[in-house]
Amino acid sequence: MIERDDQGRKRATIAPWLLQGPGIVFLIVFFFFPLYTLGRMALSARASRFSDPVFSWHWDNFSSAFSKYGDQFTRSFLYAAAATLLALVIAYPLAYVIAFRGGRFKNVLLGLVVVPFFTNFLIRTLAWKTILGDQGTVVSVLRGVGILGSSGTLLRTPLAVIGGLTYNFLPFMVLPVYVALEKIDPRLVDAARDLYSDTWRAFRKVVFPLSLPGVFAGSLLVFIPAAGDFVNAYYLGNTNNSMIGNVVQNQFLVQVDYPVAAALSFVFMAIVMVIVIAYARVLGTEDLV
Amino acid sequence: MTQHEDAVRAQAVRMARDAMSRRRFLGRAGALFGGALVAPSVLAACGSSGGSKAGSGGGAKSVHISNWTSYISTQSKKDFTRETGIALTYTEDINDNNEYFAKVRPNLSRKRSIGSDAFVLTDWMANRMINQVKWTQPFVAAKFPNKSNLRAALQHPGFDPDRKSSAPWASGIAGIAYNVKTTGKEIKTIDDFLAVGGTKTVLSEMRDTVGLFMLADGKNIKKPTLADAEPSFARIKQALADGKIKGVNGNEYVNDLGSGNLAAAFAWSGDVAQIAKSNPDIKFAVPESGGTLWSDNFMIPYTTEKADLATEFVNFFYDPKNAAILTAEIQYISPVNGVAEELTKLGGAAAKLVDNPLVVPTDAFLATLSIFGVLDEKAEAAFDKRFAEVTGTG
Repeated sequence: MIERDDQGRKRATIAPWLLQGPGIVFLIVFFFFPLYTLGRMALSARASRFSDPVFSWHWDNFSSAFSKYGDQFTRSFLYAAAATLLALVIAYPLAYVIAFRGGRFKNVLLGLVVVPFFTNFLIRTLAWKTILGDQGTVVSVLRGVGILGSSGTLLRTPLAVIGGLTYNFLPFMVLPVYVALEKIDPRLVDAARDLYSDTWRAFRKVVFPLSLPGVFAGSLLVFIPAAGDFVNAYYLGNTNNSMIGNVVQNQFLVQVDYPVAAALSFVFMAIVMVIVIAYARVLGTEDLV
Repeated sequence: MTQHEDAVRAQAVRMARDAMSRRRFLGRAGALFGGALVAPSVLAACGSSGGSKAGSGGGAKSVHISNWTSYISTQSKKDFTRETGIALTYTEDINDNNEYFAKVRPNLSRKRSIGSDAFVLTDWMANRMINQVKWTQPFVAAKFPNKSNLRAALQHPGFDPDRKSSAPWASGIAGIAYNVKTTGKEIKTIDDFLAVGGTKTVLSEMRDTVGLFMLADGKNIKKPTLADAEPSFARIKQALADGKIKGVNGNEYVNDLGSGNLAAAFAWSGDVAQIAKSNPDIKFAVPESGGTLWSDNFMIPYTTEKADLATEFVNFFYDPKNAAILTAEIQYISPVNGVAEELTKLGGAAAKLVDNPLVVPTDAFLATLSIFGVLDEKAEAAFDKRFAEVTGTG
C-alpha cells in the first residue's frame, strides 16, 4: 500500500533512509563506536601497569581527571579562547577585504591564505621556533625597541603557544567568515547608505550580523582543535604551559595509563560540548544559519 | 685492498661526514603525531581479549628488522645480504621507546606477529620487554659466535645478566652540551649548568635528566630509589619554576644549540659529535659528578619464527670490521671489541674517530659514566609519574 500525504502525493518511505544511510553508517563506525570504546576504556581498571584494562565501572578515573589536571584544562581553554579571538581579529578584516575588495584577485588572495597550509602542521610549528628564537629577528627587534628586556625571550612562553595556535588554525577562521561575507548582497549595504547610514553603521547593523554564521562556524573550527592541541605547547611552550593534550599524550605513551587517558579525553569532550552549546545559545545560531 | 672494500670505505667516510642523528627531532615529533594517530586503535584493541600466536610470515631466508632512523647505511644492509644470503627488510619505524611500545603492544600482548623479527630499544625498555611483559625470546646461540666480541662493560646488565635476549646495537652518553660562544665559559658541573646565563633545557628522557641530577647530588643511580631521587626531582622542579631551566625536550636541542637559541642543554653524545663537526663552538661535557651511559639493544620478539635469521643479522654487526663501518656511519659508541683498530684501518675521517672519546671512549672515560639501574614495574611507574608532575604533564 502506498502512503500519501495530506495533498494525496505519494510519500517516499525508503528513499530518505537510503540517502541518510551512508551518513548513519559513517557516524556509527567513526563516531559512536570509537566513543563507546573510549567510554568503556575510561571506566576500566588495570590489575598491573601493563595488563589489559578491564571494564569495571571504575569512576575513579574521572575523579582523578577532574581533581589532578584542573590547571591543564583551564590553560587549554584559556589558550584556545585567546587564539580564537586573535584569529577572529586577524581573519575578519582579511576575509572582508577579499570578499568586498578582492575583485578579480579573490581566488588568488584566497589561495594565498591557504597555500602556507599545504606545508605540514608540524613543520609550520617548528618554523615558529626559528622565528621566535632568541637569535631571531623578532626578538632582536623587540629587544631593540625596548618591548623585551635584554634577556627577554618569546619562545617557551604562553605568548608563543597562543601565537602558534592562532597561526596554525587561522584558515579555519578566514574561510567560513569569507563565505558568510561573500554571500551578503551588496545592495543591502547600498540600501543602508541610502537610508543615511555611514560606513561604520552599515557594517555594524548589516554586514556584521549577516556574517555571524561564519564567525560562529570559524570560532568552533578554531577553538575545538586548539583546545585539544598538544604540539604547539610542546614545541613553543615550557613546562608551565602544558595543555590537556600534553597530559593525555603523557598518560597514554609514557605512563601507559589508557583508562585515565580515555577519561581525560571524555571529560575534555564533555566540556567542549557544554561550551559549544552555551556559545550557540548566546549567538542564537538557529536564527542565523 | 679490493674495489669493494674501497667502496665500503668511501661509503663509511661519507657517512661519517654526513651522518645524521638517529634521534632526529623531526622523527621524535613525528612520534607525537604517530602516538596520537595510533591512540584510538590501540585503545580499541585494548578493549578486547584473546588472540593467537603467529610468526612474522614471509619467505625463507628473509628477515625484517625495525630500528631507529639513521642507525645503519644502505651499504651495510647490502653487505649483510651479500655475505649471508638473507634478504633484508629494514624499517626505520622506531622514533621513541614509548611510542614504539604503544604501537606493538596490541599485537604482542596477544601473541600476534608485529611483522618485524627484531627491534632495537633502549636499556630500560629492554628491561620492560624482557622482564616485565616478557615479549622477547633468546638468541639462537649457535648463530651468534661473534657475541664473544661484546665489550666486557656491557656483558652483564641487570635486565639481562647473560645477554641471552639482548645485544647492544650502540651506546651513548648523556651529558651537557653547550654553545661556548653563548655561555662565554666552560661548563663542568650541574651547578655551572644552572648558573650560566641564557636558555637551557633538559632531556625528556627521565633516566638521563634525573640520573645526571642524582649523580650531582651524590646518589647512586645504579640502584635508584624514589627516596634517593626526590631531592633531584625537587631541584629540577625548582629550576623549572625559577626559569633556570626553560624546557624539557627530545633532541630538538640539536638545531637550537647550533643557532644559538640555546645556551646549554642536557644532550646525547652522538648528536653533539655530529653538530660539533660543523660548529666548533658546540662543546660536550660529562659533568664532574659523572654522566649516564645508555645502550640501544637488539631484541627478538617472541612472536617471530625467524629467531635464527634475526640472530644472524646481529651476529654480522658484531664482526669488528662490520661494526667499525657501522660506527663510522652512526658515530655512537660501538659495543664491539676491536672497533678502534678497524676504524684505523678504514683511514680518513673514520680513522679520526678513534681520537674522539664520544665515539671511541677510553676506559678512564667510561669509568666516569654510570648506567641508570633497573626499575621494577612499580618503581618505574612511580618515577614516571613524579617526572610527569615535575615537568607539567602529571
